[in-house]
Amino acid sequence: MLRANRRFVRGLVAAISVYLAIVVARAQSPRTSSSAWADDLSPIGASDWNAERAAHLLERAGFGGTPEDIARLASLTPLQAVDSLVEYQRVDNARARPFEESGVWDAGMDPFPPSRAEAVRLGRERGEALGVKALPAGSPRRLQPVVDKFFYGLRANSIETQRLGVWWADRMLTTSRPLEEKLTLFWHGHFATGDAKVRDYRMMLRQNEMLRRNAAGRLRDLLAGILEDPAMLVYLDNGENVKKHPNENFGRELLELFTMGVGNYSERDVREAARAFTGWTNDVLAFKMDKDQHDYGEKTFLGRTGPLDGADIIDTILKQNVTGEFVAAKMYRFFVRDDISPPVKSELGRGFSASGYDVRALVKRIFMSRDFYSPASVATQIKSPVVLVVSTYRKLGLRELPTIPDFGRLTGGLGQTLFDPPNVAGWAGGRTWITPATLLQRGNLFRDVLFADAKNFRAPDRLMPPTYARVGENLAKGMNITEATKEGTGDAESNAQVDRDEDYNTRYASYRGYMMAFERTKPIPRRVADFSLVSIVAAAHAGTAEAVVDAFARRFLRVPLSSKDRAAFVEFMRGRSIASEPDLRELLYLILSTPEYQLS
Amino acid sequence: MTCHCSRRDFLARGLYGIGLGAALPVFLDRTTAALTAQALQGTSVETHPERILVVLELSGGNDGLNTVVPFADPAYYRARPRIGIPAREVLRIDDHFGFHPSMVGFERLYKDGRMSIVHGCGYDHPSLSHFSSMSYWHTGVPNAGEPLGWLGRLADDHLDPSTRNQIVNIGTSQSLAVRSGKHSPLVFDDPSRFRRDGTDEQKRLLAALGGGAAGSPENATLDFLAATARNAVDSSDFVRQASASYRTPVDYGIGNAFGGGLQRVAALIKAGMKTRLYYVSYQGNAFDTHVQQGDVHSRLLMYTADAVRAFLDDVARIGRADDVAVMMFTEFGRRVEENGSLGTDHGTATPMFLFGKHVKGGLYGRPPSLTDLDEGNFKMTTDFRSVYATAIKEWLGYDDTDAILKGRFQTLGAFA
Repeated sequence: MLRANRRFVRGLVAAISVYLAIVVARAQSPRTSSSAWADDLSPIGASDWNAERAAHLLERAGFGGTPEDIARLASLTPLQAVDSLVEYQRVDNARARPFEESGVWDAGMDPFPPSRAEAVRLGRERGEALGVKALPAGSPRRLQPVVDKFFYGLRANSIETQRLGVWWADRMLTTSRPLEEKLTLFWHGHFATGDAKVRDYRMMLRQNEMLRRNAAGRLRDLLAGILEDPAMLVYLDNGENVKKHPNENFGRELLELFTMGVGNYSERDVREAARAFTGWTNDVLAFKMDKDQHDYGEKTFLGRTGPLDGADIIDTILKQNVTGEFVAAKMYRFFVRDDISPPVKSELGRGFSASGYDVRALVKRIFMSRDFYSPASVATQIKSPVVLVVSTYRKLGLRELPTIPDFGRLTGGLGQTLFDPPNVAGWAGGRTWITPATLLQRGNLFRDVLFADAKNFRAPDRLMPPTYARVGENLAKGMNITEATKEGTGDAESNAQVDRDEDYNTRYASYRGYMMAFERTKPIPRRVADFSLVSIVAAAHAGTAEAVVDAFARRFLRVPLSSKDRAAFVEFMRGRSIASEPDLRELLYLILSTPEYQLS
Repeated sequence: MTCHCSRRDFLARGLYGIGLGAALPVFLDRTTAALTAQALQGTSVETHPERILVVLELSGGNDGLNTVVPFADPAYYRARPRIGIPAREVLRIDDHFGFHPSMVGFERLYKDGRMSIVHGCGYDHPSLSHFSSMSYWHTGVPNAGEPLGWLGRLADDHLDPSTRNQIVNIGTSQSLAVRSGKHSPLVFDDPSRFRRDGTDEQKRLLAALGGGAAGSPENATLDFLAATARNAVDSSDFVRQASASYRTPVDYGIGNAFGGGLQRVAALIKAGMKTRLYYVSYQGNAFDTHVQQGDVHSRLLMYTADAVRAFLDDVARIGRADDVAVMMFTEFGRRVEENGSLGTDHGTATPMFLFGKHVKGGLYGRPPSLTDLDEGNFKMTTDFRSVYATAIKEWLGYDDTDAILKGRFQTLGAFA
């Protein structure tokens, strides 16, 4: 007890001294003036502009850059610098290439059955499905071709979606309009849609193009676009939202996640919104209004009564004050910091709705504000995995996306896969990116970049899980299909079910599906990162270990190293050569593994 | 109590605390309050220091009505003419209820007396939003903005934060359920990747970073990162080796999303990890079956039943059956009436499940009526926190469930 008391007192004293130290540090901070900038939305003055702030702007409005990129922004006025990013429609982007499809989808595959069971049912009833015929009655495994094709569709689509992710990441890296991609990424998380459910990369690509087209446009256009977007309609099951049995998924997420936030509408509003969107569906890649399934009856939504349809719902939502605040606050959290103060929220929301929900005006106001450059905002945000990897490549000055290691694997291992957010709410972001495991992984992945191993690299778009690879090996050994596909001890019901081998063999179909998908998809071109740290160090005129550490810290970190940590890095370089590329890479690996490097 | 109150420990905890708070003074209050409580209370005597609670989350809203099927109630088939499970197919529990036919694993556990089912779990003024409702189940405080998870608060009150890794959360991100004021839960997904790469010299250097005078005066995010980094370094080797060396003949089935996580838990228990609370979730809103749910729901239930059955068998195999109990929940059940798409929309009350050798197998609570509904949804009959209280008090042996759950909840008498 006595001990515990002593511990308490000691703890209290220590806690108070930490607090006091911070208060004192705050008072003594050289940035005293900018400390008062938190929550101040008035624009930053030209005399306050410097390279630090230009670097911060480029981190957040884009994916960071090289010292040269930063110097260019710093030489402008703040307004010019912000405009160079925000008014990106004026920037030529001829280098950005469209996605090249492999052409894996043949006509018979539309509409793609929602499950293997459904493909089997179609095959059984019609003698064909997915553009292939079942074998004649009495043949062993007569539905095998149908099930093979079903799995081919799944695998080929998944590979095309991986290719789509690589294409987008390359675009983020090489674009001359970084904010366009950053905003598209924001909207991808906001209007979260995942290919794991949609199962059609063509829809995901169209959605991505629609979001990019409207990224800095008006919220109304984004909403209209997303509510008629085939990927979203499939993702939220709106094809199933019909007059007799409204499906609420779409209406609920529209209100809760896309526009107003929970607590600002009633359950009845959800049901009425669902009715207004009945019949909104898709004919594969095109929006379709199915008049027979639309409920033309009277509805009451957020106080408005009439035979409302989807467009009326959008109108009504955009008349709510809370809509501007909800979307502006979410954008603030994405671009500035986790916590938004109530006055900033209401002011940004008011301005956003008063501008007719002009996204460009909103982000411009944010990037011009003193609040954005206040210590509360600078280097306090945790980079998302996609931003972490792309910005590192940008800071290395790369002109092309490295694909060894694989981009999707790098970010996926940290919790973010493009075109596959975890659920309808998108990525939670902020501190949720960090666990003890992902924090270690965030450093490790750069070892694979800095010391890329092309020889032992196994391309995920050509990789079969072991269970199915074993099927291939067993068949090569001369086993029959039944023998080749046995797995498990049979204790688990799920293994027993898959081991069944009647009208078709599921494991064999999976194996065949992979093989066919590998044949028909374009491989992702594989290359390692092309850069020279020796040249970077030379360009920075860094002639000593200290100067090299400082140059790396300046180039890659947004917060200064503590003197102790800096000394440890300098010490690491003793006995190593600052003219040696491998030695410099070992040092950079350390710097990219620090907690500091996670901050943007 | 042995007090290893090194300065480093205090700093780690203190900074972590600061890192969690938006406003520093508020956090000082919290730290002070927590320390005061600890000082006054001393350390309570553990009645069952060896007992482990594993909490399983079925995210997305599992359709409880098609999981534990009231096949003798004609109202069930009226509400679900197309997706109702035919009486002849259910795995019978009694004359009224039966399991979904794919849940062979649960049928076995139930017959062995290793499983209890609690009917109609929910809370007043239920939210039909995944995110709100899940956060209520995570915090154990519905319709309020409680910042910490119920397991986090449980650990804060009873587990010594100077022993690391009292809470393990298998997953790619940390669940709100384990968010704690004093503990830093160990969160990982793939144990083989839970390591620091590089040479020994580099690992040593990276492990020693931080702790000096900070380069920047005030950055709560950086403090949070530094605290997490310390925990990662300390724990990763143990976890990785425990998992890599684990071999089991038990068949967890093919639903790796869940079975894999439970197998990792078994490996850590076998390796003697000091963890008391494990949290495993079936992620990605998998149970959100709005459309054509038959096939997919059947598969999910099969994977779940396979994995839980295998886990209990595995734990028994390694000789720890007496020490492990499992609780399983979802954020809500689904609408009683099926929708137009052979699926179900978000609903309210739903059964919860308890498993383990010391569970008194059987059915608990009053089944909610299928005809006396609230806008098409069940009226809950058991507050879910009664089940939490049961796990806390009857299983883990802590009597102050009122303080942890911020309210008084009747326990069920579900553990022997």
